[in-house]
Amino acid sequence: MLATVTSAVLIGIDGHRVGVEVHVSAGLPSFTLVGLPDASCREARDRVRAAVLSSSFTFPPNRITVNLAPTNLKKTGPVLDVAVALAILAASDQLDPHLLQGAAFLGELGLDGRVRPVRGALPLAEVLNGGPLVVPTGNVGEVRLVAPEVRAAVTLRQLVDSIRGDSPWPDVDDQPATECCAGPPPDLAEVHGHPLGRLAMEVAAAGGHHTLMVGPPGAGKTMLAERLPGLLPDLAESEALEVARVHSAAGRSERHGGLPRRPPYRSPHHTASVVALIGGGSNQLRPGEISLASSGVLFLDELGEFPASHLDALRQPLESGRVEVVRAAVSASLPARFLLVGATNPCPCGWAPDVRCRCSPAQLARYARRMSGPLLDRFDLRLHLDPPDPSTLFAGPAGAESTASVRQRVLAARLRARHRGVSANRSLRGSALEQHAPLEPGAADLLRDRVDRGLLSVRGTMRLRAVALTLADLEGRDGPVTVDDVLLAECLRAHDVLPGTTA
Amino acid sequence: MAGLPQVGPSTLRQLAALGPPDQTWSRLCAGQVPLGVVPRHATGPEALRQAWERAAAQVDPSGHWSRLRELGIGVTSLGCPGYPVSLVDDPEAPVVMFHQGDPSLLEGTCVAIVGTRRPTGYGRRIAHQLGSALAAEGISVVSGLALGIDAAAHAGAVGAGAAPIAVVGAGLDAPCPQANRPLARRIAATGLICSEVPVGVRAAPWRFPVRNRIVAAFARVVVVVESAVTGGSMSTVEHALQRSRTVLAVPGPIDAGTSAGTNRLIADGAGLCTGVGDVLASLGRSPSTAGVPSEVRRRSHPEGLAGVLLGLLGWRPETPDYLVHASGAGLREVIVALDWLTRHGWVTQQGGFVERLPVAPAPMAP
Repeated sequence: MLATVTSAVLIGIDGHRVGVEVHVSAGLPSFTLVGLPDASCREARDRVRAAVLSSSFTFPPNRITVNLAPTNLKKTGPVLDVAVALAILAASDQLDPHLLQGAAFLGELGLDGRVRPVRGALPLAEVLNGGPLVVPTGNVGEVRLVAPEVRAAVTLRQLVDSIRGDSPWPDVDDQPATECCAGPPPDLAEVHGHPLGRLAMEVAAAGGHHTLMVGPPGAGKTMLAERLPGLLPDLAESEALEVARVHSAAGRSERHGGLPRRPPYRSPHHTASVVALIGGGSNQLRPGEISLASSGVLFLDELGEFPASHLDALRQPLESGRVEVVRAAVSASLPARFLLVGATNPCPCGWAPDVRCRCSPAQLARYARRMSGPLLDRFDLRLHLDPPDPSTLFAGPAGAESTASVRQRVLAARLRARHRGVSANRSLRGSALEQHAPLEPGAADLLRDRVDRGLLSVRGTMRLRAVALTLADLEGRDGPVTVDDVLLAECLRAHDVLPGTTA
Repeated sequence: MAGLPQVGPSTLRQLAALGPPDQTWSRLCAGQVPLGVVPRHATGPEALRQAWERAAAQVDPSGHWSRLRELGIGVTSLGCPGYPVSLVDDPEAPVVMFHQGDPSLLEGTCVAIVGTRRPTGYGRRIAHQLGSALAAEGISVVSGLALGIDAAAHAGAVGAGAAPIAVVGAGLDAPCPQANRPLARRIAATGLICSEVPVGVRAAPWRFPVRNRIVAAFARVVVVVESAVTGGSMSTVEHALQRSRTVLAVPGPIDAGTSAGTNRLIADGAGLCTGVGDVLASLGRSPSTAGVPSEVRRRSHPEGLAGVLLGLLGWRPETPDYLVHASGAGLREVIVALDWLTRHGWVTQQGGFVERLPVAPAPMAP
């Protein structure tokens, strides 16, 4: 006898609908799973058999063939367990096949018949939308964002009872999980001194400019970067959904109920592999750190310690805002619109260009070479940070502006950018920049002088203008970009901030 | 012979003393050098003698000669005509000298400019100025073509008048760090590069202090621009004192590690160098009036915030953050004032740091 149940598998951050076909026929007892399952998917045989028996159903002592259609799509993970179990029950006359028609089921089975949550339930639910959908209780919160009518499964026994109408569908706790797990984000008011660093964070948040901070250990680079997400505006609806989708696909949905409101902040350690950063893996194509940080901040601390090849892999996603991860059998397009913040020491010992630095010129040059020119070029803001003067540390909290008040300016600046048709000034290029960032005559002379003296490339001039425009926006000023703006932008974009590059 | 392993100048001198070079060479090839000249080394004299034998077997002297000719490298050895006069009576005279360029430069007046490989902007500037001023006076600048002060002095001297002389610690096919290669080519074209190390031998740390004795021997006056209390420049100074050469030191800020050595030298009795005039005076000459950029251009201290900032800047680089904190002004105002100061030649900004320039601004490097 034949039964078909609908489910889905995940590739990248996209769900793909899968039909689970089960045929039970006379013959020697056997259980075959076909249709390109990977190892974890093929293990479903043993889990399903145990779960069916533990739930006091009969496991048919016949020849069982399970086919996962379409057969050319690689199936990974345990997400099809529940569908396979239900199809076997239906094919062996323990459940009416008509009750399963049009419905879709996601979930991993435990040996005791418990239904366990799966990775990527949100994008899977999106592709299955339309009919009744049953997911593990642990996934209900995130799935409700796209399918409000979703039903929950706790155990296989309860699931079958509910399908038959013998017992009601279980209620799922609807209260959103308490928001507080992380505590309040760190506030900019706690940062003493660092006028340039604070301004850089403000400009980075307002204009979406990638930022590189260079400084000795303990200068406050990490402290500033941690406060950047707090300056960013809340996520828009579409961004929030994408963030939820990516985090669900990576198995990182921590919140139940409600979209994420705040932009994500990721700071991978420098031992991360290329695949962990960019995304990939042989079959599943998991999203990498750059996708998890999409719409938020990717902070790479100790940038100089990252292997050069890893850093150069970031270049293309930085330009396009997406990353196409391609493998022989599968490919996926993942979002990667992150704000990159890098922090590094100026040299191996950390003290250049101070006299305390004990590195040889060759060491400096080798250290600086780790960051390729094209990558450095993508940082709109490049600044040197020194530890603040000791006297500012003990001056008390007075004077330091709080995150909330800086964010007001950032929001206003972002609004101006949106009127120009972009989400942030970073995206302004060529003619759009000419149109929206006209230069005061003095400012134009200044830029021309820098280009004539070989201090600025054409591309560098454009980036400088975008930063200068963001500075004007933050002041709430309309009209042409002034000389002051350009000078300040130039100061935020020191072109030889790594000492080895000038040797 | 000089290219054999573990052969420094003194071993080479002993080898040369054994007899005519061609005979010594054949004894080397046969492994029959007396053990007395083999230096005491960890591996034992016998092993080293065998190492020499093996290495010597692989060398083709005539091929070596043609290679030298291809590269335009000349050779003189102790006792030959053309051997530098200033080295003949030297206690540690090199047995053989390889040179590229014009060896007659050594007959003129030479002044060595030496210093740290990691100078501050101040040291680099002074070395450059001294180099070009001395060259304009017709004095050849001798230095080691290392990074930092050496390179700055050579760069100042190239094309400014008398051609410079570089004494390097590696074979002349690769005389200096990669960064100085263009400079080395320019010196080879107009001046002189010389070395006691044969072609094909790479630089090794022990060769630099040894090389410094030749720098000291060539020069009549040694000027130390910036140096820590220990280091290569100090070894040049020691060699210079052994050879009764005049040593001058350029003073620097007392809290800068890069000037600790030079300030100590002055305290210990070295001459004070405050400009090219002091160097010329120690040579017994008076400066020709033309072309010495040492006159101080008087001008009034800037007013307003720019003046305040200038007062806050000592003689070491500071960040704008520090200036904002110390002046109490806003970041925007400070940046604008700094730009004014930069344009008027009071300060220079590089790599996120601001550094004060001397009152008489150095002529802009082309």
